[in-house]
Amino acid sequence: MNAEPRRLFVLPLTIALLAMAGSVSAQQSLESNFRTTGPGVVQVFEAQRAVLQTSSAVILDGRKEAGYGVVVSPEGHVLAKASEVSSLGKPAITIDRTKYENAVILATDPAWDVALMKVEAQGLTPVVYAPTSEVPQGTWVVANGATTRTARRAMAGIISAKSREIPASGGAALGVVLKADSKKLVIDEVSEKSGAKEAGLMKGDVITTIDDKPVKKIEDIAAALKDRKAGTIARIGYTRGKEQRSADVRLAAKSEMFSEMMSRNDMMSGDFSKRRSGFPRIIQHDILGSSTTVGGPLLDLEGRCLGMNIARANRSESYAIPVEELKEIAERLIKQAASAPAPAAGDAGSPQ
Amino acid sequence: MKPLLFRLALLLLPCSGLTAAERPYVNDKKAPEDRKDVDFIQAALTKALPQARAATVCIEVGEGSGTGVIVNAEGLVLTAAHVSSAVGKKVTVVMEDGTKHQAETLGLVADTDAAMIRITDKGDWPHVEIDRDSSVRLGDWVFALGHSGGFDKERGSVVRLGRIVRMANSTYQSDCTLIGGDSGGPLFDLTGRLVAIHSRVGQQLQVNMHVPMSEYVKHWDGMLKSEFIGEGPFAKKPVKGNGFLGLATEARDGGGLRVTKVGSKSPAETAGVKEGDVLLKLNGNALTTREQLQNLLKEMSAGDELKLEIERKGKPQTLTFNLGER
Repeated sequence: MNAEPRRLFVLPLTIALLAMAGSVSAQQSLESNFRTTGPGVVQVFEAQRAVLQTSSAVILDGRKEAGYGVVVSPEGHVLAKASEVSSLGKPAITIDRTKYENAVILATDPAWDVALMKVEAQGLTPVVYAPTSEVPQGTWVVANGATTRTARRAMAGIISAKSREIPASGGAALGVVLKADSKKLVIDEVSEKSGAKEAGLMKGDVITTIDDKPVKKIEDIAAALKDRKAGTIARIGYTRGKEQRSADVRLAAKSEMFSEMMSRNDMMSGDFSKRRSGFPRIIQHDILGSSTTVGGPLLDLEGRCLGMNIARANRSESYAIPVEELKEIAERLIKQAASAPAPAAGDAGSPQ
Repeated sequence: MKPLLFRLALLLLPCSGLTAAERPYVNDKKAPEDRKDVDFIQAALTKALPQARAATVCIEVGEGSGTGVIVNAEGLVLTAAHVSSAVGKKVTVVMEDGTKHQAETLGLVADTDAAMIRITDKGDWPHVEIDRDSSVRLGDWVFALGHSGGFDKERGSVVRLGRIVRMANSTYQSDCTLIGGDSGGPLFDLTGRLVAIHSRVGQQLQVNMHVPMSEYVKHWDGMLKSEFIGEGPFAKKPVKGNGFLGLATEARDGGGLRVTKVGSKSPAETAGVKEGDVLLKLNGNALTTREQLQNLLKEMSAGDELKLEIERKGKPQTLTFNLGER
């Protein structure tokens, strides 16, 4: 994001705050009930909480919450953050007071990190989309906070910066390691979670073209992918043995495949999302949950859906997919799922 | 009678507009009670935000960056002492739209983290009013601005809403979450008045500490006069003579000092001084003897900027860099 890396003036950590407090005479403190995230303040958002109760979903990993979701159809379609739910198998999902077993993932959009999930349900209340995500900074927004088995809770905050693209941290890559000191571009290793792996590339394959242009050296690959974005597709020509083949490979964010170094700002940011960059466009707000409180809807004061929470980025920034794009993603993924062969749907639907 | 009353009301309205610092009524409620209260907070915030944002600047100091806020039309900026870090230092101020201006650090208070900077470029600067009377109270709604994580033109400075959750003599705590890069940034009340400057955080998200305006008001004149006030953790007092250049020299016939050795990884080497160069002037003073150079350096401190005019292979050059610490 910054052209030139600068050291930041990291705010000094206050150590032994309590000891300090004891020594100061004129000390006053606001009881936690009335702090911005306290129940005494949040209760004013009851109307919006009621929307979260019926139109947000809680995705469960056993007894733990793995994330939230946005209910987008009466028939049980739910959008969730793909990187948080894709490893769960067939998780249970709670909507309102009902727990649905064996949810399935019907489709995913890797560029936006969104998964379309489905439970066997009818008559659900999908979110109502707001007409636009272009609301002024300082506008109240409400999202899922910690939940109980039967009741959703709300957290409130404001739109806090301009909507924009968040480029993939570290850039986008195929996710292959090439053999050193070889005259050809021979794949030596295919990274887990990479587009190359998904597309079936294997050790020993020789890359010959990218987007139909010949590549001969590592520098050619770097040049071909330099300005590419995570989530886009590169057409890779390669030879396996004597056979000439090609594959559409999704370019993954480097941060998705390799763990990032923790910066000092990360260390003071608590539990942030693993995938927090490489989004085509986001709106930003100041509601700070944890890595497992994303995926649910971001509501305006009318209870309409302004977007879907997609990343808790750091101590001061949270990102949501804007409603315009969210609507498009929901429609596209539902259509895509309808035309694909039906997955082994769970024998779910038995509410508890 | 009715028309008259109406007219009176018209006359009153502009007057009430003048008392902009009127205390927002929501601050006197334990919590917002209904939609009207919530709407009031939003309306006040969105109204105050454009001016607050225009006056909030990113401050680039050497390799680092923090935040500050302009408080008068002449370009006086308030920030944190751990951002300005020294008195009389050249820094760069970046406006919200990305334009950069030269500035210099004025005084600071080392034990409470208060500091002043002045933009040296001429201009009629967008600025905010400060809460001179410390009218802010526990539980008041406030908003923070800052260049979280550094300047990002696509994003702008980041606004966060919260309440004053703790007050002590020289510190306020709010639940506006701060991060590196926000240091020195402004905390405003709902009318857009500056109430405090971001200083430090705790590991917990709720622990965000600010220096109240009272601390600035108390030391205002001293800071304006570029005084280094107090001893403390937020800025290191300069020590005369602890500067480090990293050169050995000998006098040259016909004036100047010939460099006989450049210390490995020394400030001089980093700045590009080479063996055989002839030093002609230091900060405008013509150099003649080694003792004279040493005496000049004795009056300077680590971090001070020095301008070295040299001659290399008969050609004059000027190197500008900072002294290291001995």
